[in-house]
Amino acid sequence: MSAVLRLLSRRLGISLIVLVGVSMLIFGIARVIPGDPARIALGPNATEEQVANLREALHLDDPVVVQYGHFVADLLRGDLGVSLYTNRPVTLDIAQFLPATLELVLFAGVLMVGIGLPLGMWSARYRGRWPDHLIRVVSLLGVSAPSFVWAVILMLLFAFFLPIFPIAGRITDSFEITRVTGFLLIDTLLARNGAAFFDALWHIFLPAFALAVSGIGQAARLTRANMVETYDRPYVEMAQAYGFSARRIAAKYAFKPSLIPSLTIIGLDFAAMLGNAFLVEAVFAWPGLSRYGVAVILRKDLNAIIGTVLIISATFLIVNLIVDLLIAFLNPRIRHSERGAS
Amino acid sequence: MSEVLAIRDLFLRFRGYSGVSEVLHGISLDIRAGERVALVGESGSGKSVTARIVLGLLQELPSAQVEGGLFFEGEDLNGLSRRQWQALRGTSISMIFQDPTSSLNPVFTIGTQFAEVLRRRDPKLSREAADERASTLLQSVSIHDHARVLGAYPFQLSGGMNQRVVIAMALANHPSLLIADEPGTALDVTVQAQTLKLMHELVEQSGTAVFFISHNLGVVREFADRVFVIYRGRIVEQGPTPAIFENPGHAYTRALMAAVPRITGGGLPDLNDSEAAFLEPMVVHEGGDA
Repeated sequence: MSAVLRLLSRRLGISLIVLVGVSMLIFGIARVIPGDPARIALGPNATEEQVANLREALHLDDPVVVQYGHFVADLLRGDLGVSLYTNRPVTLDIAQFLPATLELVLFAGVLMVGIGLPLGMWSARYRGRWPDHLIRVVSLLGVSAPSFVWAVILMLLFAFFLPIFPIAGRITDSFEITRVTGFLLIDTLLARNGAAFFDALWHIFLPAFALAVSGIGQAARLTRANMVETYDRPYVEMAQAYGFSARRIAAKYAFKPSLIPSLTIIGLDFAAMLGNAFLVEAVFAWPGLSRYGVAVILRKDLNAIIGTVLIISATFLIVNLIVDLLIAFLNPRIRHSERGAS
Repeated sequence: MSEVLAIRDLFLRFRGYSGVSEVLHGISLDIRAGERVALVGESGSGKSVTARIVLGLLQELPSAQVEGGLFFEGEDLNGLSRRQWQALRGTSISMIFQDPTSSLNPVFTIGTQFAEVLRRRDPKLSREAADERASTLLQSVSIHDHARVLGAYPFQLSGGMNQRVVIAMALANHPSLLIADEPGTALDVTVQAQTLKLMHELVEQSGTAVFFISHNLGVVREFADRVFVIYRGRIVEQGPTPAIFENPGHAYTRALMAAVPRITGGGLPDLNDSEAAFLEPMVVHEGGDA
């Protein structure tokens, strides 16, 4: 397994470099946005002296390079500074809002993989016949509209005209759930409150589905394309010649080799949902990182902006790392690269 | 009747956008138990489609029309349901393909794939028992480090090694008919010769009939008991191997033989006969037809 370890360490190194790059970039950009953060934070009634004092305290008068040095020194101690908007440490703010967003995105990811891959598999198995045509049309439809459009459409259809799902929020207010992980689906289970769990599930389904629709379409199309190619390979014909059932060939012999090229793109799509989640959260009043992110950008709250962006980049990188490891696990050529042919 | 396979007046047509094109124009062929029969012809002559019709694979294509008699061990294959046909494949009839390395699945180990094949005959076989049987079978194809081979992926083994694995798989469930579609054509000639010799010995021991599809006359001469020569979807000559090679009766068979360059030199062969002569009626040698 040392090939996987080497891959892991290499990818971790690259991720770290990307993270440093992102931090510099967002640090620079945040300081180019017009407006004085100290003035915005203190309001129009503050005196020039008060503003100057705050600028001093925030090192805002130092050269940008020195400011970045202060920021990195703090970051290494796990300190992202204090938000000028909430007056709390940024790490605390993120810890409060991030789990809701992550829960939404992870649930959407499960829907994307759990619906998209089987659809693609089914489509490829019946390629050229009506289930294939149907799935291709539906998945093209899914890909062709952005997630916030789906959010509005689904909300109108299934929360407003047909009130099957709740229109907003994460859980019905009457439930008192102690916060452990911040993931309501997990916390309700930890509290052994089945009713609350289903209530949370009922709340998350529509926004997560809206977020996942284009990913589902993308995953289905990609899986179908790769599988159709795999169906022309001699090993699939051999499986047919050995009498394996069409279902088994689709689900095993043709699916696994096709999953490897699909997975990279699916991983990127999954990570991209983090960005789209901002808009879906806005539509469904989901109390996630988006509301916080938008508020701090409008107030030029430097520490909070940088903290939010860094956390999202780090999540993106972690997801990609997991996907890379998954591919290495699925693809024996990577796992055994030190032994066999490259 | 001890015929393993009988093909009677088989037609194959493909429906396309430009109409129907006929690929096989009524071929008949039979293989007796334990017999090795070769179907020889150039690429595009209809050899491989015939093999796929015998397995029932081509019939699953919506664009293919197959017509004619197909009998396996006396049973009419045309009457079989999809499921019954599937039950025959990998158990009573098995197949070896051109390129062993690409006909093994790249993301499963040899051991996993071998176990799947053995479970075609014995669905409840445990993995341990399957590995044990696979090891014995691998020994029969002269693979002695079977533990390593079973744990390996196809890309970690040589082409010759994969060919041995594929032969062992094909014979694992004691089929009464083995279809070999240009086996080992993708391999080096030396490896091809070794693996063919091995296959020859094994089918002789087990009494498995072989439907051998090839364009390589040298190999056919050594391997087959009887030969059918196919040209553009028609059988043009048939008979026992010695009769055909000593006294080729049909213009196309003569051209096919003349087209093989001699290792002793003499330049590239000239093809004398015109294509019109290739369409002459079929030549049947004595003792050829059952």
